[in-house]
Amino acid sequence: MKKEHIQTLIASNPKNISHIYNENRAAFFGFGKKYGLDYDDLSDIYQEAFIALRKHALTGKLDSVKSSLKTYLFGIGKFMIYDLLKEKKKTTEYEPIVHVAHDAIETISFEETHEELTIEQRLLRTHFKKLGKKCKEVLTLFYSRGLTIDEIVEFSDYTSSSVVRSQKSRCIKTLKEMIKS
Amino acid sequence: MKREELLEKYIQNRLTSEEELKFANLLKSDISFKEEVALHTNLKKVVEKEDDTNFRNLVENIESREKKPRQKTSYIKWLAAASIVLLLGLSYFFNMEQKLSTDTLFAQNFEPYRNVIAPIVRSTEQQDEKAIAFMAYEKGEYQNAIVLFTKLYTETKESYYLFYKANALLKLERANEAVPLLEQHLKTKDTLTEKTNWYLALAYLKLEDKQQARKLLNKVIADGLYKNKEAKKLLKEFE
Repeated sequence: MKKEHIQTLIASNPKNISHIYNENRAAFFGFGKKYGLDYDDLSDIYQEAFIALRKHALTGKLDSVKSSLKTYLFGIGKFMIYDLLKEKKKTTEYEPIVHVAHDAIETISFEETHEELTIEQRLLRTHFKKLGKKCKEVLTLFYSRGLTIDEIVEFSDYTSSSVVRSQKSRCIKTLKEMIKS
Repeated sequence: MKREELLEKYIQNRLTSEEELKFANLLKSDISFKEEVALHTNLKKVVEKEDDTNFRNLVENIESREKKPRQKTSYIKWLAAASIVLLLGLSYFFNMEQKLSTDTLFAQNFEPYRNVIAPIVRSTEQQDEKAIAFMAYEKGEYQNAIVLFTKLYTETKESYYLFYKANALLKLERANEAVPLLEQHLKTKDTLTEKTNWYLALAYLKLEDKQQARKLLNKVIADGLYKNKEAKKLLKEFE
């Protein structure tokens, strides 16, 4: 996959994300229709597949992927389509739909991790929400996006790694104070 | 290497095997370091969750913008919808016999709408009550959810509370109380409004008011969005 695509997904800039999202949307709906799913179902699936795609970018899974963003995204989508069809088969007794769709898209499995936050973490989350914009940003880049300190310097307005480090530790200090109080 | 750097690398899975050893030793020998690691591990989970939630909201927003143009129903669609109304209206007079009771149809079709609100919470004070309300809703503790939704609605005037309270009431077979809330919700324009007609139709079905139910189902079909397929099927079933 193109490196800039992976970077766009990680950076999560609304405008760029919107661009990639819409670029593949119509094609995906056309693709999904062959499986007999309706508009609402496909709308849900496309959103979930896109969110999963970004998750794979964050965890580094995409780095070794050879196929294009579109093929990979459709692969996750196809996996979710199969999942939904299986689910529908279980719950509806009528209308057994025969699905004969042929395409070259390879399914890509996606396991959803619904890990609930612990009480401690939930409390920490309320504190995190109270932090200022700068703190939220630097902590998000480091903890969620997985950018190293040097990469943060490269992609932001920070002038040096020591500035990033001191900003980050100030934010964590604020959090610690909130926990204590 | 400094402790701070070691911790940084651990959080981002970048420790070399040599550093891993150092890290493990420090973890064993130094309690304050252990506490520090625990905090950072928790923080990683929290920040990831927050980032995920924000991204999910972003995607939902993009999708809802894309979905809108479909609401401009074409002339032909209107004609089709109008003719269905006419046909159904006629068949109503000719076929008074009930195939399936409205109660059964309600039970077959109603399912409380999934919670799409709770993860979007931002303000901190209300966050807990809001989260608890939606948690109760998700767990099926509808009585508790209703009480909390009522309170939160009075405090915040957020229209989605009307929608979810009505859903909880419907689940508890209190359709007569759900109807006014849904009607009030219809007047607001939040992201859930396009779904309200479907639930209002079911509420009327539960109250055995087939005429109102039919009218609303036709609206759902004409909108061509949420549950329009189900609405067509349901209409056929109760005629």
